[in-house]
Amino acid sequence: MNRARSATVAVLVALCGAAIVVGLAVGSSGWRGDALSALLRGDDVVAALRAPRVFLSAIIGASLGVAGVAMQVVLRNDLADPYVLGIAGGASAGAVLSLALFPGVPPGPAAAIGGATATSLVRGIARRGPYDPARLLLAGIAVGSVLASVTGLVLVLAPSERLLRSATFWLFGGLGTPPMRAIAVPAAVFCAGFGWTWARAERLDRLSLGDDVATSLGTDARALRRGLQLVAVVVTATVVAVGGLIGFVGLVAPHAARRLVGATHRRLLPVAALLGALVLIAADTVARSAFSPREVPVGLVTAALGGPLFLWLLRRRPAWR
Amino acid sequence: MAVTAQSSELAAVVASTIAPLEARGLAVGRGGRAVLARVELIVAAGERVAVVGANGSGKTTLLRALAGLDRPIAGEVRWGGAGLPRGAERVKRVGVLLQGESATAFTVREQVVLGLGLDRAPAASAAAPVDDALRRMDLHEVAERPTVLLSGGEWQRTLLARALVASPGLLLLDEPTNHLDPARRAELLAILDRLGGAVAVVLATHDLECASRCDRVVVVGRGRVAALGAPQDVLTPPILAESLGVRVRRVEDPEGGTPLLRVVGPS
Repeated sequence: MNRARSATVAVLVALCGAAIVVGLAVGSSGWRGDALSALLRGDDVVAALRAPRVFLSAIIGASLGVAGVAMQVVLRNDLADPYVLGIAGGASAGAVLSLALFPGVPPGPAAAIGGATATSLVRGIARRGPYDPARLLLAGIAVGSVLASVTGLVLVLAPSERLLRSATFWLFGGLGTPPMRAIAVPAAVFCAGFGWTWARAERLDRLSLGDDVATSLGTDARALRRGLQLVAVVVTATVVAVGGLIGFVGLVAPHAARRLVGATHRRLLPVAALLGALVLIAADTVARSAFSPREVPVGLVTAALGGPLFLWLLRRRPAWR
Repeated sequence: MAVTAQSSELAAVVASTIAPLEARGLAVGRGGRAVLARVELIVAAGERVAVVGANGSGKTTLLRALAGLDRPIAGEVRWGGAGLPRGAERVKRVGVLLQGESATAFTVREQVVLGLGLDRAPAASAAAPVDDALRRMDLHEVAERPTVLLSGGEWQRTLLARALVASPGLLLLDEPTNHLDPARRAELLAILDRLGGAVAVVLATHDLECASRCDRVVVVGRGRVAALGAPQDVLTPPILAESLGVRVRRVEDPEGGTPLLRVVGPS
């Protein structure tokens, strides 16, 4: 059993490595068979254009995988994803308002602020009485739907084609052509978030059994949940600011990881991060090259690629059966 | 040197006399409203105490306060003469088995390891108590099986192994025989008998036979402790009629065991 799990992790690491190499080799300016040596040489196309994008995809995917695990533990709900507590609605409204009011400014910071504000609102609304994950989830859905209507209203009332186009790219996830230095902040936030969660993996195991069980097993359930929520929100808001809304990864990666290596968070967290990175690197490579020279939003590809992958995993016997 | 020996002897005597559980002037309830008040209970080391009462009498609410899960409305609970610590120290003090916990994708062994309350990956030295708990609960053959695939009896024994793995001085059980078939129920009662004296046990139960096998019984009803004492003094037809609203008949065991309590109808 343990050997099979180690083999799973080794295969995932190898697949991520392969996806990075393919991602560096593929692009609108053609196939590069010498992608790795071109990267080391500092080649203009591979090192300056493709590499930042591939590494950013990996970081965003891994971040969404870990934030998804954290949110599923907080809400004790396998259908939870990183966007569920109003981040998606808040980030969309923030980004679209920013695009409409300040067309020259990148919408990322406004999106992150919108997402974080919406989550604080959801938390504030759901705080009364003893902790109830269903109430938190419903508050997230309600706030999200109000903000979705704000987003729609802005798009309808300010229908310039440019706004619609940039908003579409942003709402379905678009990584653009980031400079290498743009990776630093999301990478640092991911490392801090992953490190914090990884250091508490056993406590996450206990929290996933519910507050009463966790408390009786010596865990401060309330403090841990608050910390996890904060980590999930900060990590998600950061990746939303650089990549827009990329759906499905944060839902699929934790599920797939659980089916591959079981429920123990010491294994689940790194595998969810690896799967998230793998799915997003692959999806972004397709998004850049499938309709070259045109590019499609990566969120559309994650859903199109992730859906069948998830269905395949659902049909497969989980590792713990 | 002599002083050190004396003081360590004194410490041992004090430790042996400190009750694993002590509740003084306890009032428990939900939403600020007391369902059970003025509870005075001291449980000695190795003693087994049953809490018996009708539905809604506050048995589970009392047990939750005794487990440190809910803050009492009034009064104080002390575990081994002190408050409850966090982390691995807490599970060494109190083991808890609650009602209605669902099985998950964790394996039996992973569930039992969680009972050690560790904040890092378990070291190799953790394997010994885990293996011991698995063996004591007759779970070693299903140790690597996911708990979602267990039978009801195996799941109950897994939860018991998790509650006992850190060798706590006190075990709190909420309706441990609920939903078990007669064979699994007998198995659980035998396990509790085997624990005898090694750990103090407080269990909330509807099961009068289970209660009659304890050292003492607390009968709760009408918001207070109606009776507290040895089973033969407390589990009597008049007390049970008043507190549980049930008519019982004592039937002597022809094999000389504990007299049986047969429920003949509502009072």
